[in-house]
Amino acid sequence: MSKTITTTSTPLAVAVAAALAGGLTAQHVAAADTTWAGFVENATYHRKDVGISKFRNTAQAEFETKFDSDSFRSLRLNGVLRGTYDGVYDLNDDEFGKDAQQDYLGQDWHSAGTATTTIPGPNVPILSAGVPFPCENDPTLCDNLDGYMDQKERDARFPEFNDRLDFIRELYVSADKELTNGDVLSFRLGKQQVVWGKTDLFRVLDVINPVDYSRHNIYDELEDIRIPQWMLTAEWRMGPNQVLDDSNLSLVWNFDKFRPSNLGTCGQSYKILDAGCFFSSYINVDKLVGGPYTAPVPIIHDVEEPEWSLANTQLGMKWEGVYGDATFSVNALTYRQQLPSLHFRELAPGTGAPATDGVFDIKFPRVNLLGGAIDYYSMDMDAVWRVELAYTEGEELPRDLDGHKETDMLRYVIGLDKNLVIPALGTSSAFLISGQLFGEHILDHEADMPNDEDNWIATGLFKGWYMNNRLSPQIIVAHDFAAKATAVAPSISWTPDNHWMFNLGLNVKFGGDEQFPWSVAGFADTYEPLARFTNGPIGVANQEDEIQFTIRYSF
Amino acid sequence: MLKKTFLALSLSAALAGGVQAAAVSEEVIQNSFFPYKNGMPGFSGLSAGLTINQANVEQFREVLDPGLYMFIKNGATEIKVGETTDFALHQSYIDATRQYSGDVTLGEGYGELSKTVAGRPFPQEPSMEDPRAGEKLAWNYKYGYNWGDSATISPFYWTMRDMESGKKERTIKFDFNFLNFTHRTQQTPFPEITPNPSELFRGIYVKVLEPFDVKNTQLLIHRFEDDTKVDNAYLYLGFQRRVRRLSSGQTTDAFLGTDVMIEDFEGYNGRISDMKWVYKGTRNMLMPFYNHNEMVLDSETHQDEDGYQVVAFGGKGGCFPNITWQLRKVYEVESIPQDENHPISKRTHFMDAQTFTIPRTVVYDRKGDMWKNWIIGQAHPDHHLPVNKGTGVSIDDAFSMIDIQAQHCTTGQFKGIVDPSRSPADKFTVQNMRASGN
Repeated sequence: MSKTITTTSTPLAVAVAAALAGGLTAQHVAAADTTWAGFVENATYHRKDVGISKFRNTAQAEFETKFDSDSFRSLRLNGVLRGTYDGVYDLNDDEFGKDAQQDYLGQDWHSAGTATTTIPGPNVPILSAGVPFPCENDPTLCDNLDGYMDQKERDARFPEFNDRLDFIRELYVSADKELTNGDVLSFRLGKQQVVWGKTDLFRVLDVINPVDYSRHNIYDELEDIRIPQWMLTAEWRMGPNQVLDDSNLSLVWNFDKFRPSNLGTCGQSYKILDAGCFFSSYINVDKLVGGPYTAPVPIIHDVEEPEWSLANTQLGMKWEGVYGDATFSVNALTYRQQLPSLHFRELAPGTGAPATDGVFDIKFPRVNLLGGAIDYYSMDMDAVWRVELAYTEGEELPRDLDGHKETDMLRYVIGLDKNLVIPALGTSSAFLISGQLFGEHILDHEADMPNDEDNWIATGLFKGWYMNNRLSPQIIVAHDFAAKATAVAPSISWTPDNHWMFNLGLNVKFGGDEQFPWSVAGFADTYEPLARFTNGPIGVANQEDEIQFTIRYSF
Repeated sequence: MLKKTFLALSLSAALAGGVQAAAVSEEVIQNSFFPYKNGMPGFSGLSAGLTINQANVEQFREVLDPGLYMFIKNGATEIKVGETTDFALHQSYIDATRQYSGDVTLGEGYGELSKTVAGRPFPQEPSMEDPRAGEKLAWNYKYGYNWGDSATISPFYWTMRDMESGKKERTIKFDFNFLNFTHRTQQTPFPEITPNPSELFRGIYVKVLEPFDVKNTQLLIHRFEDDTKVDNAYLYLGFQRRVRRLSSGQTTDAFLGTDVMIEDFEGYNGRISDMKWVYKGTRNMLMPFYNHNEMVLDSETHQDEDGYQVVAFGGKGGCFPNITWQLRKVYEVESIPQDENHPISKRTHFMDAQTFTIPRTVVYDRKGDMWKNWIIGQAHPDHHLPVNKGTGVSIDDAFSMIDIQAQHCTTGQFKGIVDPSRSPADKFTVQNMRASGN
C-alpha cells in the first residue's frame, strides 16, 4: 500500500507552489496530500557459458503531491527516484567490468573472421578487441569518447549516480486550467517521459526520450529504460466537437541538453549491437601498412555531442483524437538522431585511408519526423488493429565506402491485439494475443549499406492469467527477417499478494550469423565491423541465452 | 438541497418545452415508482430484527434466492432482516418517465428501441403473457436511475479472498466514475451533454490507485445509444504509459484477476442485444437494502476526514457484507448470452422493482451449474454521506462476487458520492486517461 503523508510546508512543495503562483500572489496555493509508493527489486540473470550476467538491485520511490489551488483545476508535483547497484561487476569480474578482456572484437557474438583473426607476421588482427571501460584502461580512447560511451566501471555499477542526476528519473509539475468554454489547457514542466505511438518493444513514434539499452538490451519495459529529459509539454484538450469524440493538440519542447541513447560501454553485460566494443577498438594499420601510421588508429576520434543552445533543443507537436471506432494521432518532431552516426575521416582526400588519430567522428544529426498512428476496433474480428507510421529526413545510416549516408526513412508497424478466452487452457481469463510487424524502408538505399533496403521484425505475445491473475505465464517471440535471428522469451510471474512479485524467465536467441560481403579485410564475407548492423539487436545478442529471476517487493 | 430542488425544477421547465410523448397514467407511475405506497410486503414469521440461519432457513426459503438460500443452509453466512423502506428515486426521473415513456416501443430485433429521451422506458407492470417482458425490464435497468446522472466511488476497495481460509490475497484500491451523456434528468445539462458526435449514452472511468504493480491502470468504457453497437473500451497500463483499445473479449474476462467481469459491473454491464432476456415472475424477496450509517462498519480498511467508514464483511472467508436485508418487490429475469462461446450459460437477475437496480444475480457456467453469486448492497442516500442526501440514488455500497466452484470471492467496499463536480465530461476521455497516468 502506498503511504499518504499530509504535508503543509515541505521545502519542495513550497518552492513549487511559489513558482506556480508567481503573478498570482492573491491566489491560494497550498500543498495537500503527498502519496509515496515504490519497490525494491533484485534481478539476477545467468547467461549460458558466461555465468551471472546481471545482479541488479534497484530501489525506486515515486511520489505525488497534490496542491489545492484557486487558479488551477489540478496542480500536482510528481517525482520518481531510482537507485541501482548492479553487482555483476563484483560477482563475475572475469566476464564483465574493467578487466573483462576479449580475445577478439565481437567474441561475444561471432567466431573470429578475417578482420579479427591474428595475422601471422605482424601478429595482430586488423581490428583489435574492444577495450573494456576505456576510461579505466586507455586514456586515449577515454579522451576520444569523452562524453559518450565513456563510463567507468563505477558508473555501470551505480548507473543513476552521475553528473546528469539520473537518480532523479522524473520530477515535474503538472497544471490543468479549465477555460470558460470547457476546454482544458494543461502544462507539464520538468524531467519527464513523453510517450508517443502505440508500438510495443520497438520505437516508431516513441522517440522523444533516448533509451538506455545497457540496462537490458531491448527487453525491459520502455518505461524503465527511457532516459527522462527536461521538457515542457503543453496541451490544449478540446474535448468533443461535432465530428470528433475527443481531440487534443499538444506541444513538447525538449530543452534538455541533447543526450543520445546509451548503447552500453564495452565491458558491460548488455551492449546492444556490440557497439561499445567497436567504438573502443583500434585498427592496427600501423602494423599492417606502416607509412604515416606509427600507432594503432582508434576507431573513434571524437564524439561531437551538440552543446546546449536554443537551436539545439527539440520540438514536437501532436494532434490526436477519437473518431468513431478509431483513435488517431498526427505527429511532427524535430529532434536529434539518438543513435550515433559514424563520419569517416580520411587521411587525405581521395586516399580512402583513415586519419592517423581516429577513423570516425561520431555525430548526431538533426532529424525531422512526420508521422501518425491509428488504432481501430473491428467489431467483426473483435480485435484491435494498430498502425503506426513515421517518415524521417536527416537520419544517417552506416555504409562501407563513405562511412555514412543521409537518407530519408520510413518506419511502420501494423499490430493486431485480441483477447480470447480459451477454456481448454484451464482459465476463465482471456488470453492476450498480440502480433505486430515492424517495417523499415530506406529510401536512399545504397548497396554498400549493411541494412537491407526493406527489413521487417515480427513480434508475437501470448499472455495468460491464472489464479486470479496472480500467476501469469507469457511468451514473447521476435524475429528479425534480415538477420534471420529469433528471440524467444517465455516467463512466468507469481504475485502472491499486494507486495511480492517473483518472475522467472528464459531469453533464448537463435540465428544472427549473417555476414557482410566487405570488411576492412577486403571483399570477403565476414562479420566485422558492419555485420553488427545487419544482425541487429537480436542477432548480435545471439550468445546471450539467459535464465532470469526477478524478485520485487512493492510498498 | 436547495440546489438540487432548483435542478429538478429546471428539468421540469426544460422538459415542458421539449418533445411531448403520450402521457403515462398516474396509476402506472405510482405503481412503478412507489410499490410500497399501500403498505410494506410481509411474509409469515419474518420481521425486522430476525436472524435467518441454518436453523430456520427452510421457513424462509420462498423469500430467498437460490444462491443466498444455499449459503445460509450451508452455514456460510446468516442474515439479519431489516425493515422494508422506501427508496424513492429522484422526482426528476419520475417526471421524465411521466412525460416521455408513454409511447416507447421495442424494435423488431433485440437491442432495438424507439427514440427515448429520459426516464424509465417501460413503467408498466410486466406480464408473463408478454414474450418480450424480460427485454423491457432490461431496458428499464439500462436506462434506470442507477447512480443518477453521474457519481463517483472514491475510494473503492476490492479484496480477493480465499473463501476456505479467509486469507485476503490482494486488495486493489480504485476510483470509479460514472456519467450519463444522455437520459439525464437531475444534473445540468438535460437531457444530454453536447456535442456528442458518436451518440454516447454512458461512460465508466476506472483508475487503480493501489497496489503498485497495477497502479495507474485505467479503464474507460463508452456505451452507445445504439445498443447494437459494441462498447468502445480503452485501457491505460501504467507501465506502458499509453492507451490501448480493448477488444470486447476482455469484458468477460476476470477484471484485474478479480472474480468480477467488466460485464458484471452494477449487475449487468453490457448490451441488451448481447443477451436473451426472459421474465420469470414477480416475487417478494429479501434483498440487500439498508441504511449505511446503521450497519457494522470497517474502521480498519478505510478512514478519512469525513469520518466515513466502509461496510464490514464477515461470514465464511469474509465474503459476506455485514448488512441487513429487507423484503422487497423483485422481478426475476434471466439473461442468456447470444454468443455460444460466452463463459456463462445464463444469469438470473433479481431486479428491485422500485429502483431497477440489480442487487442479486446468480451466475451459471456453461454446463448450467451455479458458478457465482453477485451481491450488491444498496444503501439509502439519506443515511449515507451528507452530500448524497436527497439525490434519490440507491447507493451501491458493498459487493461480493462469490465463485462457488473455486471457493473464492472478491468483495467491494465503497465510498459512493453523488457529486457532479467529481465527474466532469472530460474525465471520460482518452486524453484524460493519458494525462492522468504518469
